Amino acid sequence: MNALAVNARVVAALGARSVKQTFRRPQLVAPIVIFPTLLLAVQTGGAGRAVDLPGFPEVDNFLSFMLAGAMLQSCLLAGNTGGIALAVDLEIGFTDRLLAAPISRFSIVLGRLVGTAALGALTALWFIAIGLIFGASFELGVPGVLLMIVLTSLAAVAFGGLSAAIALYTGQASIVQGLFPLIFVILFLSSAFFPINLLLEPAASVAEYNPLSFIVEGIREPVIGSLSAETVAEAFGAIALLMAISTGLSAIALRRRLRVG
Amino acid sequence: MNLAADLATVRVLIRRASNELLRVPGAAIPGVLAPTIFFLGLSSVFGGLTELTGFDTDSYQSFILPVSLLQGAGFTGAATGVNLARDIEQGWFDRLLASPAPRPALLAGMVLSASLRSLIPAVVLLAVGFAVGVDWPGFGGLVLAVFCVMATGTIAACWGVTLALHYKTQSAAPLMQAGMFVLVLFTTAYAPIELLQGWLAEIARINPLTQVVDAARLGFTGQPITWADTWPALAALAGLLAVLSWFALREMRRTSL
Amino acid sequence: MPAIEVSALEREFPGGIRAVDGVDLEVADGEIYAFLGPNGAGKTTTVRMLTTLLRPTGGHARVAGHDVVDDAADVRRAIGVALQEAALDPLMTGRELIRLQATLHGLIGGEAERRGDALIRRVGLERAADRRVGTYSGGMRRRLDLASALVHEPKVLFLDEPTTGLDPVSRKAIWEEVAALNREGTTVFLTTQYLEEADQLADRVGIISGGKIVGEGTPASLKAEVGKPHLEIGLAEGSAELAEGICCDFGRILPEKDGRLLVELEHGASDVAKVVRSLDEGGILVESLELVEPTLDDVFVDKTGEHLEGADTAEPAEA
Repeated sequence: MNALAVNARVVAALGARSVKQTFRRPQLVAPIVIFPTLLLAVQTGGAGRAVDLPGFPEVDNFLSFMLAGAMLQSCLLAGNTGGIALAVDLEIGFTDRLLAAPISRFSIVLGRLVGTAALGALTALWFIAIGLIFGASFELGVPGVLLMIVLTSLAAVAFGGLSAAIALYTGQASIVQGLFPLIFVILFLSSAFFPINLLLEPAASVAEYNPLSFIVEGIREPVIGSLSAETVAEAFGAIALLMAISTGLSAIALRRRLRVG
Repeated sequence: MNLAADLATVRVLIRRASNELLRVPGAAIPGVLAPTIFFLGLSSVFGGLTELTGFDTDSYQSFILPVSLLQGAGFTGAATGVNLARDIEQGWFDRLLASPAPRPALLAGMVLSASLRSLIPAVVLLAVGFAVGVDWPGFGGLVLAVFCVMATGTIAACWGVTLALHYKTQSAAPLMQAGMFVLVLFTTAYAPIELLQGWLAEIARINPLTQVVDAARLGFTGQPITWADTWPALAALAGLLAVLSWFALREMRRTSL
Repeated sequence: MPAIEVSALEREFPGGIRAVDGVDLEVADGEIYAFLGPNGAGKTTTVRMLTTLLRPTGGHARVAGHDVVDDAADVRRAIGVALQEAALDPLMTGRELIRLQATLHGLIGGEAERRGDALIRRVGLERAADRRVGTYSGGMRRRLDLASALVHEPKVLFLDEPTTGLDPVSRKAIWEEVAALNREGTTVFLTTQYLEEADQLADRVGIISGGKIVGEGTPASLKAEVGKPHLEIGLAEGSAELAEGICCDFGRILPEKDGRLLVELEHGASDVAKVVRSLDEGGILVESLELVEPTLDDVFVDKTGEHLEGADTAEPAEA
């Protein structure tokens, strides 16, 4: 039996399980999608006149600007949910079942991340639908939308990896759950919700270097129509950076857990 | 009905809730952390909005601090619901129900403790707010804001208790939090009513908490505290309290059957 | 080749705690071996090392001919594992779980389905198979756990406290299933704190306490080490001396208890009929008769000075 084929099937099966799990726990779906949607609604409604501010980028409406922020928020939350699920698996001993099976150790984490990517893509589709319904512009059409979905899925995986590392290290779902406020902090310190040139301190300075700013611009520009190769490169670069860090931390945490058992 | 006994019940329940807080201080952190993060985040992200005409103040922090205060009250009230759900799951609540204490006294004990506890995030938020330059609201403005916070905390606790008694599980927690979150934000939270988009302006007009937000905000945006600006908030709070406490009592009576 | 070979196995945890402190054992192919001991004795830690979930800090172990550290993947291919916590996902259905387990062991498509469905039938869960595991009773979860451990027809089955917390009916069902599996050729290594479980199921028992094996052997030989069965005879007034005279042919007379005559049976329980016949021939009226066998708890007390916890929660051994 080809070991690679077996592991690929295992990754797919675990990925499918991840997605099913999320939908079977409705109280997990809500924070991932409903909360960012509500926030999108109230921020668009409440701060919508910001488009009149001098220095605000050219957009058809505030929704077109904000959509990317909501998508990024949602996919980060989806990533964290993956980590929570991994921690729950550790707590109930399900991970032992996987570790005692003749599969590669890394396919256990990879399976979870594949599920997270799928979830990220689903959240992207949700918000694209919302955008279409409520009149966001999508200047760059279908290729732009595809780019948005790819970036969102990858960002979910990158953050999911960080979350998984913490899950593996602590083995406690409640700790991973406690990362939710952190997600909001790092989003506020980026250009997710407002143009970078109009932010006040301390958000303004941090946003300049925040990888999330680069990612959100990559998701935003296909909507508002000013996509440049530079933006795309920066977005993928930021994701690559986050992925490298999260992969490294996950591997360390996994090794430690296997050692200490 | 023995009034002295009822008051004693209320006092004991308040004390138990406070004990919980002192012994598990970590539990208070989410309720304090979330509104603080939102306050700092929103003020640095959306701060530029004050350039638009229609804002009475240059300081967006001063504009949204009252909203954060009310959010804190909302979370505290939701936490009361979560604690009750936990007590129900663990069977402790059955003990209370089996006692001769009248239901209104039990409810009062639970929700009044929430009104006191909502002062905790309020104090933290005020400290943080003043540190980042929020304008002093004047004594009257502060008192009004604190009153609104405590009343909102009580109302939020009624909401949380209703859900806890209805669903009897801690997994109803997100619903408790989301409910208050929506109620507080779908108001003039981000901007004065003239600057809101049409649909949100409509919702804000209907939402009783808009009056509360506006009243709590008076001192912080340098407005004089007039009766005309205050009574709609008091009416809104009274109305919400009446309605939600009715629901809570109804659930409590249903549970004991 | 032995199914399991363990030499000088050790596991030390940070802080200097030695959960397993030098264990040697060998389990023959096709045997049922039970690790008997109280909580904290090191049973679960040993099982986790043998199933490659935990690295030993000393010593060696081979399962199905493969070293648990160097050939871990080969070990995993040959073993089936049902651990203490019945590690099941409450949101999955029984069928989904078995299918997943099949995939983990490289079974694909139609074959995975067939094996999964056959096992579900075997453990009597057809009707519940498409319900979520969260709705299953404790007994059903253990049966599902057992079924999932068998998906790839393992050579060696590891069961960590398979019936802890189950009602007597569910417990019997699991025992029957384990015995049937063993008849089909599967080697079984189980841990338990119930002496009756070890007594009923095991070919050999290893008594573990404080991370070490303090006694090993078949249930009968362990009990025989500790003592012989004795009879407690309730007699009519005045016949004690005469009865003693008759009974002393069969073994030592022990101190009387509650007015009953106690005689140790030198040649074991098979002498009971002879004792009764002799007393009858001697004209002695027997009012009550009870055969008391040494239990594994007696063995445990003998080896460790303490009673086994499960001793009073298990059902009494049938005479």
